[in-house]
Amino acid sequence: MAADSDTESEVFEITDFTTASDWERFVSRVEEVLNEWKLIGNSEEKRLSEKSEFTSGTWEENFEEINFADFKFEITYHFLKQEHVKSNKKEELEEDAVPLAVQNLLSENNDFPPRAHCLVRWYGVQEFVVISPGSNCEAIISESKCNLLLSSISIALSNSGCQVPVFVQIQHKWRRMYAGECLGPGLRTDFEMVHLRKVPSQYNHLSGLLDVFKSKISCTISPVPPVSIAIRFTYILQDWQQYSWPQQPPDFDTPLGGEVGGVEFGKLPFGACEEPISELHLATTWPRLTEGLVVDNDVYSDLDPLQAPLWTVRVRTTENPQCLLGDVLSEFFKLCCIKETAEEILGRGMAEDEGKENSDISSALSKLTEPSATVPIHKLSVSNMVHSARKHIRRQRHMDESPLNAGILNTILLYLFPDAAVEKPSEYTKTKSEQSNTPGKTEQDKNSDNLFSQLKSAPSDSLTYRLALCLSLVNYNYGGLRAVAHVWQEFVLELRYRWENNYLIFGLAGGSPDLRCCLLHQKLQMLNCCIERKRARDDARKVLDEGKERAHRESGSSAAAVTSTKEVSPGKSWDSWSDSEEEFFECLSDQGDMDAPQTEEEKTGSKRKAEGRLHQYNSMNLLNSSEPLYVPVTQEPAPMTEDLLEEQSEVLAKLGTSAEGTHLRARMQSACLLSDMESFKAANPGCILDDFVRWYSPRDYVEEEVVDDTGSLVMKGHLSARMKIPGNMWVEAWETARVTPARRQKRLFDDTKEAERVLHYMAMQKPADVTLHLLPCLIHGTILKLKEEEATENIPSVQISLQQVVSQASRLMQTPARDYKRLEEFINRLIAMETVITQARSLKAKFSICDKAENREDLEIFVRSLLEEPEVLVIGAGQGPAGSIIHRMFVSAQRAAVLAPLDEDLNQERQSTESSRVPDFPSPAGREILLRTCVPRPAPYSKALPQRLFCVLLKDEFRLAGAFSSDTCFF
Amino acid sequence: MDEDVLTTLKLLIIGESGVGKSSLLLRFTDDTFDPELAATIGVDFKVKTLAIDGNRAKLAIWDTAGQERFRTLTPSYYRGAQGVILVYDVSRRDTFVKLENWLNELETYTTRMDLVKMLVGNKIDKDDREVDRNEGLKFARKHSMLFIEASAKTKDGVQCAFEELVEKILQTPGLWESDNTGQRLQLGEQQQGGGRACGGYCSIP
Ligand SMILES: Nc1nc2c(ncn2[C@@H]2O[C@H](COP(=O)(O)OP(=O)(O)OP(=O)(O)O)[C@@H](O)[C@H]2O)c(=O)[nH]1
Ligand SMILES: [Mg+2]
Repeated sequence: MAADSDTESEVFEITDFTTASDWERFVSRVEEVLNEWKLIGNSEEKRLSEKSEFTSGTWEENFEEINFADFKFEITYHFLKQEHVKSNKKEELEEDAVPLAVQNLLSENNDFPPRAHCLVRWYGVQEFVVISPGSNCEAIISESKCNLLLSSISIALSNSGCQVPVFVQIQHKWRRMYAGECLGPGLRTDFEMVHLRKVPSQYNHLSGLLDVFKSKISCTISPVPPVSIAIRFTYILQDWQQYSWPQQPPDFDTPLGGEVGGVEFGKLPFGACEEPISELHLATTWPRLTEGLVVDNDVYSDLDPLQAPLWTVRVRTTENPQCLLGDVLSEFFKLCCIKETAEEILGRGMAEDEGKENSDISSALSKLTEPSATVPIHKLSVSNMVHSARKHIRRQRHMDESPLNAGILNTILLYLFPDAAVEKPSEYTKTKSEQSNTPGKTEQDKNSDNLFSQLKSAPSDSLTYRLALCLSLVNYNYGGLRAVAHVWQEFVLELRYRWENNYLIFGLAGGSPDLRCCLLHQKLQMLNCCIERKRARDDARKVLDEGKERAHRESGSSAAAVTSTKEVSPGKSWDSWSDSEEEFFECLSDQGDMDAPQTEEEKTGSKRKAEGRLHQYNSMNLLNSSEPLYVPVTQEPAPMTEDLLEEQSEVLAKLGTSAEGTHLRARMQSACLLSDMESFKAANPGCILDDFVRWYSPRDYVEEEVVDDTGSLVMKGHLSARMKIPGNMWVEAWETARVTPARRQKRLFDDTKEAERVLHYMAMQKPADVTLHLLPCLIHGTILKLKEEEATENIPSVQISLQQVVSQASRLMQTPARDYKRLEEFINRLIAMETVITQARSLKAKFSICDKAENREDLEIFVRSLLEEPEVLVIGAGQGPAGSIIHRMFVSAQRAAVLAPLDEDLNQERQSTESSRVPDFPSPAGREILLRTCVPRPAPYSKALPQRLFCVLLKDEFRLAGAFSSDTCFF
Repeated sequence: MDEDVLTTLKLLIIGESGVGKSSLLLRFTDDTFDPELAATIGVDFKVKTLAIDGNRAKLAIWDTAGQERFRTLTPSYYRGAQGVILVYDVSRRDTFVKLENWLNELETYTTRMDLVKMLVGNKIDKDDREVDRNEGLKFARKHSMLFIEASAKTKDGVQCAFEELVEKILQTPGLWESDNTGQRLQLGEQQQGGGRACGGYCSIP
């Protein structure tokens, strides 16, 4: 570069060159970035921001990293996004227009924005670039470094012609110190800052600050143009006094008062335990004062907050205040991560005891369920055994350090099984449980119905739902994990007791498991199906015992009453879903004719007496005889829970998609068809497949008009083509089917085995599993509770949130795999809603909004905005309805602060004199003073340019942020 | 081949007995028509991989029996289905009249609120038509379904029915994203409705 310069300068140049190169690279990199962001020149796409646009508009930023040697800087462009401004005044745009940022200095449109970057607040700029040291780089502290950085920027700005101000952050980050520069055509604005820890006394008022400003702009013309002044004082209220939070913290020690105890377990608590609104900030603003018309010096001030023309308020909320509903929910959710089993949690001693009892039971049961078992089920008094075991365990527990005392445990069990309050005659239980299943629901119920299927929980009046609420409260209030484990064990014991003793489980919709509900609910419904069928069987058995003769005569109708019993098809080639255990609906005395070898005649059923008829079918007659065609009593197919179903469809799917697979699949599912055929044959002696098809699949029996031998038109029917295919499954099944009424067929559904399966499943669930099963129900309960509480408050943001939350929950709950992270986020969202509701309540109480309050509507809107907007304008300032309430709050806080230590029974006089000395407001926590003018600098004949000084006076901070423009052409 | 399968969709075929559900499925999976097909017992199952906009979707299709008596059994298979094909026989009005019942059943047993439904009028090759195309169209519009007429015998409309259904499912956000694959399909430009070359297709939003 300097190859042919003389030696001396060469040496100088070289030294300079190495240092300059980092620096030059930095400068050119800054220019590059400014170019990239298109910040060069005066863009016609921008316009001066309008009134309040800083708050209503959106701010965006661009970000890059740049290096100065090894030192990392972050460069960020902040700007107020503006809709594409169509420049209809393109011609008017003067070449030497003042840059936007410099115009911003004087604009009054956006003083004291509620939420903005500090540089925006101090300088009013709507676009700017900040260069600050990278996140783990040291601060720029030494003066020489600061200067170097600033001159780099000067050069970059003048090289590039960029008119956006560029700031550099200097000193420690927390000090928020910036220096900057803005270059425009023929002008330059310097941004300078002073930051001290204490306010110097000579600057502790307006007049002192005006002096600083004036001396800085050192205006030489006269008369000096007036300085325009904007002032804002902020007062903080922390002491709520009698406006305190109205929520009573719940009393956990005595909630189980006698008869109402049960109800408590169905009620989720709600509300904050601490004040959710921590502070109220009142900002009193004088937006436009003129120098000389207001006095504020070290001895006197005109600035009475009560007289300020503009009042704005913001509230500070307590961060994560403890809220009851949220606590219950999140504590319950925490149980999901516990690895231990109930036994491990409750202690080994107890578990061993139990184990012994259990093994007795299970061996007895395994005897029962062994295929070779010959002992009829009713002869074993398993139920008695279990029940005594249960009593034993209970006694044992109560003597040990059981986490729950007997009283609470009983209340809980009564809440879960309210039918147990009465001595259990089976008829009573039956009616009750049926009652709870009857339709005819109200509109409200329909909505929540919808909710349970969306959330895959359970209806809000079901046992499952109650169990969820109950366990969450037990966990929260009555002993945590151990108590939960205990209640769960008791619950499972009660289920077994009910199964053994034919008592239906109360509070479950009848019929097959509802696949829209959670698996646990389905399992409970399944157990109820088993109990119901077992009971029907036992009842029928009783009838039989009363007189075999009569039973025989009435077999048809008695079987009809219990069609729910299921069967497995006989014959090896007809393996079906049901298990191999041989049990028959009426496996009693007439079992004999079942085992008798069937003759050909019997297969066609021609000589048999009809059995198991339900009713006549459409007054049709059999094709080969004049007998009417009867619909037989049939077995119902097995009820299924979703896990069984999953298993089954997996097996079915595994058979593949070949024709053979299809055939196998059909065969596996034909148990029901076969059973129906057998019942049909029993009910219709002399029938043929055509008869069966006419009832079972009428579209496969084709009737046509044909001309018969005599030449007349007659209806003639035949099987459809697909039914006639030789060897098709229907024909095959028909040929295999024996003549057996449903009541003597093997059960399609083995309730004994199924019930044991369910009970075993229940017993194996760890507390964490139970929690996961019940979580959807608790979330359901939480959402209902939030809805209920919100209804009295009417908070739009919560209403919207509630809607979103339901669809979010539905997505989370419908997938079988639980995503803990997302669940946690979701739960936090629910908690946030509770918090917002409690905040609204707290504010309502503070602004004493009640039905008879005047201006109630205005106040309600005001309070609502406090929660939704960063800062809310107080209509009428200190004189308006909200303003006078706020005023009163400050006054009483002030008095309390002074009088607190004094006795309450002060005499009236003293109190009044005392209070007259107490100012209504405390001294402001913050004062902001903004000074603006437009004067020529540096010389009297220079152009008049915007000058601005923003002063911040806090308890422990004093900041002057000045922007001083000067003419670079004429000085 | 399974590696580039981005998602598995569960589809369901329902409708009265004998309307041709199994025949339609056989036409779609094996491109044949078997007049000797037996009446379905319980449920049947077939798989087919379909390429849509360059992405492969694996379809697990459950074919159910239409017989009244099996109806207590089959709804269990409705669970988790993302799409359903509801079939009637254009030559048998009674199968069309029963559609309403099938929709009720569907409402009761499906777990997804945003299930995509397609109505197929089958056997248009037959000359004893009893249900006019417009009637099918009207029904589909009323119940926000896709609609097409088809013939399993002549293969008219069959491929198209399945493709449109799958495409619609893939366009429905949330319907398949919770699938175990967890992957998002990157679908190209989506034209709303049937810009594709399917004459009989109409989409009712
Ligand atoms: N002409 C004509 N016949 C058809 C068509 N599709 C099916 N079929 C016939 O209709 C009859 C019933 O067809 P399937 O496919 O078995 O009917 P499905 O709906 O599966 O009946 P189910 O399994 O009992 O519910 C068979 O005889 C088929 O050959 C078609 O498009 N045109
Ligand atoms: Mg079929």
